[in-house]
Amino acid sequence: MNFLKSLEISASGLYAQRKRMDVIASNLANIETTRTERGGPYRRKMVVMSPKPMQDFEEVLTSKAAGVKIDDIVEDDSPFNRVFDPGHPHADEQGYVLRPNVDLIVEITNMLLAKRIFEANVTAIKSTKQMALKALEIGR
Amino acid sequence: MHQSVSKGNLIRKRKTMPDNVSFAKTFLALERAIEIAQQRHTHITSNISNLDTPNYKAKEIDFERALAQALESDHGFNLVKTHKEHTDMGINASGRIEPFEEEGEWNGFNWVKIDKEMTKLMENNLMYRTAIESLLRRLNTLKEVIREGGR
Repeated sequence: MNFLKSLEISASGLYAQRKRMDVIASNLANIETTRTERGGPYRRKMVVMSPKPMQDFEEVLTSKAAGVKIDDIVEDDSPFNRVFDPGHPHADEQGYVLRPNVDLIVEITNMLLAKRIFEANVTAIKSTKQMALKALEIGR
Repeated sequence: MHQSVSKGNLIRKRKTMPDNVSFAKTFLALERAIEIAQQRHTHITSNISNLDTPNYKAKEIDFERALAQALESDHGFNLVKTHKEHTDMGINASGRIEPFEEEGEWNGFNWVKIDKEMTKLMENNLMYRTAIESLLRRLNTLKEVIREGGR
């Protein structure tokens, strides 16, 4: 049934946005982390998404309707912030501390975007449900 | 369930009712409209779930054109197939509605516009419900005739 596919597609959108929220939460939680297991401060992480063809091989070839999947979670290569703080245990000889390359404004913006896109997917699911219920009325 | 129903985007090349029953053509047209709206819905939900995909282009079905083509292939000039290699007349050999990539504006990330997709979702939803509603009313008319005619 076609509606189940629509629901599956919207669900993949919900899942991807939730994962994205996890990554944003991790960035925000670690905004002050100056040492990680690998040494050096925390690096900002981000998600990379791509369309995901739904199951059926015939569909992969013909129909272009696709869900979404998270390809990878990558790290931001931009330079760390250098802050002068000689009292800090992780300060170097000149008294500078490397701070994570997380920008609060960017994270909050991404968070809002993730929230809105999540809501858009929820609206799509509601719409699918309405249509499916309407179709059930035909049999009455 | 009919085999082609599960395949989703194939337009069935059969007649729903014999032509001499009232409203047969209307039923056929409405059935096609519902089918196309359903497929369009799948593409819109797909676009919405891919709002965050880099370089993604929105997919779209031209509702009116698809409907016109579907009806033409139902009522139009159909050749009798006498050999399995003969091709169908109509939309294309398989009777498939091909989505196309919508021209959009580059927003620095991809070509999908959230407001446009949401509007399309609403509009298509209404279209679908209108089609089903008119189908329902036709059926009620038939029912009424049957009931009252027997009195």
